[in-house]
Amino acid sequence: MATVQVSEAEKVYILHGIRDDLRVDGRGCEDYRHMEIETDVVSNTDGSAKITLGHTAVLVGIKAEIGKPRPMVPDEGYLEFFVDCSANATPEFEGRGGEELGTELSNTLYKVFNNKRSVDLKSLCISEGEHCWVLYVDVLLLQCDGNLYDAISIAIKAALFNTKIPRVQISADDEGGKEIELSDDPYDCMRLNVENVPCIVTLCKVGHRHVVDATLQEKACSVASLIISVTHKGTVTCTRKVGGGSLDPESIFEMTEAGKRVGKALHTPLMKLLQEEESRGA
Amino acid sequence: WRRWLRSASAAAFWEACCIVLVLTLSPLLFWCLTALIAIMLKSKTFVKKTRSGGVMKIVREHYLRDDIWCGSEACTECKQESTVLQKDACIESNLCSYPHYLIPDTNVVLHQIDVLEDPMIRNVIILQTVLQEVRHRSAPVYKRLKDIIHEKEKHFYTFTNEHRRETFIEREPGESANDRNDRAIRVAAKWYSQHLKMFESDTDGLKVVLLTNDQGNKQKAEESDLLVYKCEEYIKSLIANPELVDRLALSSDDKNEITSSKVLFPEHLPLSRIQAGIKSGSFLQGTFRASRDNYLEATVFVQGEGEDSTEVLIQGLQNLNRAVHQDVVAVQLLPRNQWVAPSSVVLQDEGTAKDDDVEEEEEEKLVAATLMSSMSLKPTGKVVGIIKRNWRPFCGMLNVSQIKESTRHLFTPADRRIPRIRIETRQASTLAGQRIMVAIDGWPKHSRYPNGHFVRSLGGAGEKNTEEEVLLLEHDVPHQAFSQAVLSFLPKMPWAITPEDMVRREDLRHLTVCSVDPPGCTDIDDALHCRELENGNLEVGVHIADVSHFIRPGNALDKEAANRGTTVYLCGKRIDMVPELLSSNLCSLRSNVERLAFSCIWEMNHEAEILKTRFTKSVINSKASLTYAEAQMRIDDTTKNDDTTKSLRGLNKLAKILKRRRIEKGALTLSSLEVRFHMDSETHDPIDLQTKELMETNSMVEEFMLLANISVAQKIYDEFSECALLRKHPAPPPSNYDILLKAAKSKDVVIHTDSAKALADSLDVAKVDGFPYFNTLLRILATRCMMQAVYFCSGMDSDFHHYGLASPIYTHFTSPIRRYADIIVHRLLAVAIGADSTYPDLMDKHKQSALCNNLNYRHKMAQYAQRASVAFHTQLFFKSRGILNEEGFVLFVRKNAIIVLIPKFGLEGTVFFDGKDKTAPNLVYDEEGPTLTIEQHTFHIFDKVKVTISLDDSNIQHQKIRMALIDPVISGVSVPAPDVGPQAKKPKLDQ
Repeated sequence: MATVQVSEAEKVYILHGIRDDLRVDGRGCEDYRHMEIETDVVSNTDGSAKITLGHTAVLVGIKAEIGKPRPMVPDEGYLEFFVDCSANATPEFEGRGGEELGTELSNTLYKVFNNKRSVDLKSLCISEGEHCWVLYVDVLLLQCDGNLYDAISIAIKAALFNTKIPRVQISADDEGGKEIELSDDPYDCMRLNVENVPCIVTLCKVGHRHVVDATLQEKACSVASLIISVTHKGTVTCTRKVGGGSLDPESIFEMTEAGKRVGKALHTPLMKLLQEEESRGA
Repeated sequence: WRRWLRSASAAAFWEACCIVLVLTLSPLLFWCLTALIAIMLKSKTFVKKTRSGGVMKIVREHYLRDDIWCGSEACTECKQESTVLQKDACIESNLCSYPHYLIPDTNVVLHQIDVLEDPMIRNVIILQTVLQEVRHRSAPVYKRLKDIIHEKEKHFYTFTNEHRRETFIEREPGESANDRNDRAIRVAAKWYSQHLKMFESDTDGLKVVLLTNDQGNKQKAEESDLLVYKCEEYIKSLIANPELVDRLALSSDDKNEITSSKVLFPEHLPLSRIQAGIKSGSFLQGTFRASRDNYLEATVFVQGEGEDSTEVLIQGLQNLNRAVHQDVVAVQLLPRNQWVAPSSVVLQDEGTAKDDDVEEEEEEKLVAATLMSSMSLKPTGKVVGIIKRNWRPFCGMLNVSQIKESTRHLFTPADRRIPRIRIETRQASTLAGQRIMVAIDGWPKHSRYPNGHFVRSLGGAGEKNTEEEVLLLEHDVPHQAFSQAVLSFLPKMPWAITPEDMVRREDLRHLTVCSVDPPGCTDIDDALHCRELENGNLEVGVHIADVSHFIRPGNALDKEAANRGTTVYLCGKRIDMVPELLSSNLCSLRSNVERLAFSCIWEMNHEAEILKTRFTKSVINSKASLTYAEAQMRIDDTTKNDDTTKSLRGLNKLAKILKRRRIEKGALTLSSLEVRFHMDSETHDPIDLQTKELMETNSMVEEFMLLANISVAQKIYDEFSECALLRKHPAPPPSNYDILLKAAKSKDVVIHTDSAKALADSLDVAKVDGFPYFNTLLRILATRCMMQAVYFCSGMDSDFHHYGLASPIYTHFTSPIRRYADIIVHRLLAVAIGADSTYPDLMDKHKQSALCNNLNYRHKMAQYAQRASVAFHTQLFFKSRGILNEEGFVLFVRKNAIIVLIPKFGLEGTVFFDGKDKTAPNLVYDEEGPTLTIEQHTFHIFDKVKVTISLDDSNIQHQKIRMALIDPVISGVSVPAPDVGPQAKKPKLDQ
């Protein structure tokens, strides 16, 4: 990932600031940077969203395609993730440079989103055991300025909200053969229920305290961070520790509590915003 | 890796760039913005199912503009360069007394294209919405519509309403695609009416009139203050042109009043059910082919995997279920116990229009009877649905209704395979006795006959021009004059050979080249030369007109020629494949002019063995254009010793050797009688009839053409093994020879058919004492056993053998003026020798294969048209002759008839023994012989008989030559020899 070089003096400055709940850019420890969300930005996808968080910019596109359900869960559809770390974001990603990060991100996203508690996977089933919708979620990193997980998760939630899946009907003929029929009306489409889709909150341990939405400088001062996915009710669905340092149980507890609080607060304005944009678009 | 990602990252990049640009070039931004005002970008999105069952979202950019003009002469607002619609668009109408433009909706165009084609209908606005829908729904109508639009006098204007900002509409939620299009049409009509209102002061109230047959659409249009009429309403209001009403197609609500409510046919299944059924194998898809002889019977030809295809028999009106010849239909097989055998009875639909509802029980019985008699059952089925109608306008005649005031009449098509069509017309009395064209509109399930409408009249029946037109139309021979686009690719006159032409061309002008052709030939495509070389060998050249020099691939001229495929020769008329300037002038290798040629030059020894072969593009100057007879005379005249004659003698000598060698290899010499009419130079009526005579020179030219074709075939196949255009003649299956073997056996002659060589040899020795004509008759029969020779692409087939010529490979190279296949072969050969460049389609074996299919079809149709023309002229000839007595031979023996060949006229006719009016004599048919015993007399194949020939014109549409037996005399069957009228003229015919 994109890294910055921070001198010792700078580190001390940042550390001390955070200790006093005062960050370099003037935020409090649980504040996000300025965030902009735009949906329906790529017309040839079924759902898309673009988010900028500080200078971090992420574009998410979702394509729905018909596939075969997984044998273990024949009555559910599924999601596939792919993260493209474009060299646009940072020169480090050039060539195969972004591959490792991309895989790491997509694995985490897969764990967070591809389960029936987050997304109503049953509604993606077309005919049990034979056809289901597969949502290919493609994430494109346009700029990296820290806190990728949060930005990506919010963009995915927005894109899922925006996704319109064409409605299909299964017609069975006399011989039992099944035929998929597509609705002729382009407005006749299925929307996903995104109520339970979680958002990821990344908490960075800096000194003895932790911050959300760390900038690259803050990140450089942190030893480890905790990734928590939180639903709108404040339920934690997934946690993961990243970074080289260690976290003591007490601070994990503290960080989880903070994550829940922040995450819960994040959902309400996000949904409000999305609905507002939707009604304006129509 | 999904596509959108790539474009998105590119977009992000460009966004960044744009910002930089804007900062540095801000004065330019102003410019860009003003340009952007005129064009607005929209995207159209729709979802499509892919073939593999997936679903794809497709996004198209759609530009809306302000600079799409209205096309009206009256408009001063639009900045158009030229206008299409006239200012004073006047047509006399009861409904609209003001000048107006018409806007038809899609269904009006689809169903009333015949009306729109009428020269009366002008100043019509075709909306893009309509054009697109028409294109989607019917390709032939679309083509006709495009043709009208291109016609300047019609003043049809295409308004691209989908791209004009004010008239573009987006589909609303819950709105069907059709409703959206209807709304788009209304919006465009509204825009036009408001647009034209601006110039009201100087156009005396120019308006637009919307034509629609859809009640809902009409109502909505009225609500938004549009002038709207139903199509019938409007056409009927045109005071000056009552005949236009006849061309109106019947719309669905009109049909109801015509027919009774009784349902005669089972419902057709919807397309989705048919497709599902075909997929699951319960239905079969195939082409419907009605029987020529029995209107209650048809076969459906089902194309199977690869080579195997089956035929399904369909019998009975109910099972035929309104399918018309050439439709693509879905059939369901009946259970095995209901399978039947094809009946061999000739059955014609003679029912009149009145007794529609009466079941023709008698006919049903006949069908039932044949059911029992035969054992060879065939898969039988019934039509459950129509996949694609293949209706075209049909030629035929009107059966005028007996009720005088009636406007509904039955129309009988010339093609017996097409059912009769019910049409509505007020001009029945004028149309009676004329050949007319009628188009089918539909076939409701409670109607015995399909409904149709009158398209145009071709002229009086029996007249030569009319009949020729019918013949060409019915055989699908393209015979319109060449279009301006085609003619524009002709070389400019005066034409001369330029130095550029001479690059890569050999100058052979010094050679003594001459051509030998039938008399009156103006399209000379081959010429020959022969000279002795210094080393004692002979050099023989075949020079073929270089048509591919003039017809360049892909242009309109080339496409037209490819579509026509061949020149069609009718009696006294030629339908050219390429315009006359080429066929009779620039490409014709006439004498004493310089012409471009493609030459095939061999070095041979005196035993006609080829030592060297070479191909080159060349320039020649023919020294003489001879007829076969003239050439023969020169060869025979020992006093002549000029270069041309010497050359001819050399050629003749070699040709004889070549022919001998070819026959030794097993080439067949078959025979079919060809007749030639002597035409009256003024009336173009046939005054005399002669079977074509063959001379030595005929076979001389033929021999060298065969040699050139084989040499070229080998060369192009060596060079392009995947895409050489070749011609093959498959060996006939052994069962084809049954009739020949039986016929020969009846005269105690044995014919071997194991190979072409065996057949040729046994035909050579087959002779019967005192019956000199026997051999010719056998050869005529053998010809009938053969398969059709076809063009094919070498990459798509593995069997190249030409059975008749006993050659392992063959193609057509020598007649590029009259055959398109030869043009392709010329191009291939030119590429092979580096004289011309190639192009993609030439090397695409699938495209070539498709071309071959068209060429084969055109050749077959040309042959049929030619035969039909000969038949027609034979009829004309006998019409003027009255009744004749002639000698003939029995060629075939059938269950209830014998087929007699009159060698003198090359005429074949049927003598029926169970006529309708007479009581049938006692007939015994023996399949083994085959022989037919009538009362005491037994007929064998090759029996000599005497018959009277007369013209039967009781059915004016199908005039026939009727033959009746004179000798042998059988009481109740034969007729007394009538007095022959114009005996005086007869000696002229006898040779």
